Amino acid sequence: MPDMDDAALLALRHGSEEDRARLDRMAEGDPALRDRLAGWDRQDAALHALYDPVAEEPLPERLTAPLARPVDPPRRLWPIAAMVAPLAIGIALGWGAARWTGDGEGGADSLLASAIRAHDTYVVEVVHPVEVPASDKTHMTKWLSKRVGQQLTVPDLTADGFRLVGGRVLPDARGAAALMMYEDDQGQRLTLYIAPEPRQPETALRFADKGPTRGVWWVEGDLGCAVVGDLPKDRLKAAATRAYDQLTGA
Amino acid sequence: MTFPDEIEACLPSLRRYAFALLRNRDAADDLVQDTVERALSRRHLWRGDGPLRAWLFRILLNRFRDDRRRDRASLAVVGTMIEPPVSGGQDDHLDLREVHEAMGRLPPDQRAALLLVGLEGMSLGEAARILEVPEGTLASRLGRARAELRAMTGRAGPRGERKATET
Repeated sequence: MPDMDDAALLALRHGSEEDRARLDRMAEGDPALRDRLAGWDRQDAALHALYDPVAEEPLPERLTAPLARPVDPPRRLWPIAAMVAPLAIGIALGWGAARWTGDGEGGADSLLASAIRAHDTYVVEVVHPVEVPASDKTHMTKWLSKRVGQQLTVPDLTADGFRLVGGRVLPDARGAAALMMYEDDQGQRLTLYIAPEPRQPETALRFADKGPTRGVWWVEGDLGCAVVGDLPKDRLKAAATRAYDQLTGA
Repeated sequence: MTFPDEIEACLPSLRRYAFALLRNRDAADDLVQDTVERALSRRHLWRGDGPLRAWLFRILLNRFRDDRRRDRASLAVVGTMIEPPVSGGQDDHLDLREVHEAMGRLPPDQRAALLLVGLEGMSLGEAARILEVPEGTLASRLGRARAELRAMTGRAGPRGERKATET
């Protein structure tokens, strides 16, 4: 089969054992094909010669350290972790507030940092991801609005594949903040963090990131909002835009 | 083996792959570190169906694509280049330095695909699932990558002619 194109040959070469055996048989009576295959063998040999040494190096500590950390504490520790976490956030925020400069960037940094910290703390929660479940949405909305001090809307993100899990109140440097958690069918979680932001200039949607968690934030009225999730930028942006539209009544 | 142990067992090939893909030591280890952190934080999403290695490569490549989308400039930096061993010019070996340079000129999606099968030894099916493209698409992409590589490493025509136009 001298006319087979590279793609078809490569499908065999990188296919099942059967495919490879078939290719070998084809090459037996076909010197031109043997040449083509040998050329690819040389390419692969060159890639191995070039890059295999990296795989033989000792692993750097920064890659092994995260694996040495206990990643799955026993269940019974979760309630304690849940109690301690808001305290830690409060302390961290106290420090963060010192850097509060009043300009858009300084405020944003603290808002997003708080939102990301809250996200990272609660999305891993299996037992108590929220204080009030979505089944109690009316109560949750009233309660969060009362604590944050403004009538809040709980955005409906089902069009983006996210259903509400529920919400909780968190301490923020400027008062009580609301955290709403959403989840998609794959268990991917998204959080919306809403905190008082008095006297901050309003902003359009801004995208920022830190580590593997990403956030979109904005300030509207006296509220700072941030949508945080480990999602592709487009998807995060779409969900954030929908939340923004519903929260600002656009 | 525990989950972290299984990840650790995959680290050598993830590092090799990340380096071959990014061609910069620090950027490669940043990418692998990111992959590890992400895998640990999302372990509840790993359902244990299929090899963990494939899941890790998928995370790494998603991250790689996100990084490129977000910040193309930062990945275009000229990295700490390794000095690849130079082969002795026998005809049955390719010039390694030339291959390394040529790999750098391949479009990233072609480089990513070729390295999965050519370096990591994955089957077309496995690589297609990781890259989330149909096998036929991947086979064509591999064909283009190998043809490009062949052209740039002086095996398909007058040696050096093409190189001169690209540098």
